[in-house]
Amino acid sequence: MRPVLAIALKDLRQRLRDRSAWVIVFLAPVVITALMSMAFSGTAAFHAKVAVVDLDHGTAAAGLLQTLRSPQLADTVSVRSYPATEEAAQAVRHGPEQAGIVIPAGFTAAVAGGRPEPVTVLSSVDYPLQAQLANAVATSFVAQVNADRLSVATALTAGALPADLPRLSAQAAELRLPVQARPADASGYALKGVSYFGPSMGMFFVLFTIGFAARGYFSEQRQGTLDRIAAAPLGRGTVLLGKSLATFAYSLAGLATTLTAAHFVFGARYADPLGVAALCVGMSVAVVCLTTLVIVVSRTERQAEQLSSVVVFALVLLGGNFVFASAGPAALRRLALFTPNGWALRGFTDLGTGVSGLAAVRDPLLGIAACSAVVALVAAVLFRLRRTP
Amino acid sequence: MATPQAAQTIRPQQDAEPLLDCSKLVRRFGSRTAVDGVSLDVAPGETYGLLGPNGAGKTTTIKIVCGLLEADSGTVRVAGLPVRAAPGPAKRLIGYVPQEVALYPDLTVRENLLFFGRLYRLPRRRLERRVEEVLELIDLTARGEDRVDSLSGGMRRRLNIGAGLVHSPTLLVLDEPTVGVDPQSRHAIMESVRRFGDQGMAVIYTTHYMEEAERLCDRVGIIDHGSLIAEGTPRELVALVAEKDQVQLVASGDLTRYAEACRALPEVEGADVDRSDEGTVHAVVRDARSLLPRLLDLAHANRVQIRSVEIVEPDLEAVFLHLTGTALRE
Ligand SMILES: Nc1ncnc2c1ncn2[C@@H]1O[C@H](COP(=O)(O)OP(=O)(O)OP(=O)(O)O)[C@@H](O)[C@H]1O
Ligand SMILES: [Mg+2]
Repeated sequence: MRPVLAIALKDLRQRLRDRSAWVIVFLAPVVITALMSMAFSGTAAFHAKVAVVDLDHGTAAAGLLQTLRSPQLADTVSVRSYPATEEAAQAVRHGPEQAGIVIPAGFTAAVAGGRPEPVTVLSSVDYPLQAQLANAVATSFVAQVNADRLSVATALTAGALPADLPRLSAQAAELRLPVQARPADASGYALKGVSYFGPSMGMFFVLFTIGFAARGYFSEQRQGTLDRIAAAPLGRGTVLLGKSLATFAYSLAGLATTLTAAHFVFGARYADPLGVAALCVGMSVAVVCLTTLVIVVSRTERQAEQLSSVVVFALVLLGGNFVFASAGPAALRRLALFTPNGWALRGFTDLGTGVSGLAAVRDPLLGIAACSAVVALVAAVLFRLRRTP
Repeated sequence: MATPQAAQTIRPQQDAEPLLDCSKLVRRFGSRTAVDGVSLDVAPGETYGLLGPNGAGKTTTIKIVCGLLEADSGTVRVAGLPVRAAPGPAKRLIGYVPQEVALYPDLTVRENLLFFGRLYRLPRRRLERRVEEVLELIDLTARGEDRVDSLSGGMRRRLNIGAGLVHSPTLLVLDEPTVGVDPQSRHAIMESVRRFGDQGMAVIYTTHYMEEAERLCDRVGIIDHGSLIAEGTPRELVALVAEKDQVQLVASGDLTRYAEACRALPEVEGADVDRSDEGTVHAVVRDARSLLPRLLDLAHANRVQIRSVEIVEPDLEAVFLHLTGTALRE
């Protein structure tokens, strides 16, 4: 057996003998995904109950209502009309509605005149996502009408809007992709909670692999086995490669387990299994690079442990693994683009809304590759600096 | 360990090309020079003991020999091949047994041996056969499937040695293999080291147990403060102090201060408290008979009660006292 493989298999064997590693990488994400899918059950897919108040009674208002009630949105949005703003606001605040749209008087005239007449969106703190959806539908309706400078009548019969609906529901889930990157694919569907949280939790827990691997390296240094390996006729690269291979395989197995469970047990739905696999592979490569960085930066087992915890939590907070649809400010959402998991989540969100093929995963994979390359580069530079004091 | 197998006895060929050849090794850590110009060679089949107190530079020398540490200057050759930290054919010839037990506690005994063997690219069949041989050699065949963390300290020590043997090295490098081992296991380890020598393996062995070095080694180098201060067969080394006397005083009181006071006498070459027996002071002196009354006076002055005095044959302990003034200490 080649020494690289021997080292990788030895590491894997040790990892699999460690019960806490099992729990964290395989069991915990599946359990949490199960909890998430239960939380989202009943409405297996994302759903919004929207109150509508039409104070305009014009054709543009009718167009907006028609959009909201279109068959493409039927799975996502249920609409109920209210006569007055006050009542709608009450219904949103105390149920049963989750968000509301108030179409102001003079809306039709404003739209026809090309002036923006903002609709008011009623939101509830409990359902920020639903408010975003309502907002997205309303603003995109107005934008569409404005942009095309179409008459209200044309707009109503244009038929372009329903085709855009997958995009809207995706926007509701806060896809951070630029709008034009999203093809108006008629096969699109709404993002299920489990389709987002499955990979999100899988990634969160797989990031803990960084800690296991880095600690493992330092415990080998402490117990002298690393010296023993170094006494064998191997290059230094062999040890790094063998250990990286083990980390990669372990991360991939963790992600695969979570996603398989999410799909087959909890009904997560993705447009493209190959895309899912590609994202998992990309994410595992990123974990390997991060592990190398943690090892290079740390000097002791304890430092490695602390540093990897910091890395994991920084990444999941920035990457949006905890905030469904990253309800935070745009700046925070942009920060997600500095994390491999943020990019991967984008990819999973796209796949989860029916986008398939390269369109869904090209940018995320490039993003993950860029993050990994930067991390690996920093690790390499630091390694050189440390070796030549 | 296993009973000695019938092995043809190959004794050191002193005139042969040395198997290990270290020349003028120097290694500094910051401002401290851990190894300061050590040159030594070991012939095929020879057992060489590197004897020295804590911090003398034994481990540092060993690590340079095994290519784990880069020397600041000097060269190491094994069978004529240079040893460097970068991988080279020389490393294949060396079996390294580190001072601390360096094994995977969560793997079994057999898994550990297989793993270390695989690092040397042994073919599968040969590796499996060799692992069984080694298990037998270290008397752990019955414990092959047990995890290392379930072994006793002595067993781990034996496995620690076994892991350096799997690839059948021609030079076995042992760094204090008997530290912290009970007398029985210690005996077993020494017995097997002797056998390795008998089988033609060259052994370099560090220790600070004099009697081990005296019993086992064909040749001994005494290292102190990073320098080799004496080298030779145990007999040659003891001859250095042949005309000296070794006095052994069993006493109670502040013996460290007493030993210090003894060292101040011009006739005393060295004096120190025994490292394994706190109640004994060793001293190497010129003409013990005439010095004895003054040693006793000194004891009185230092409020030390002498219980017995013995003048003994000089041994390596005496050599060390003679050369450095103090004992090898833990
Ligand atoms: N990595 C290191 N960094 C700094 N100093 C070191 C390092 N390794 C060894 N030293 C120093 O070099 C000197 C020699 O140490 P070494 O470990 O070689 O001694 P030793 O003879 O093996 O001692 P012992 O019997 O305690 O094992 C000591 O003073 C030690 O503090
Ligand atoms: Mg040492």
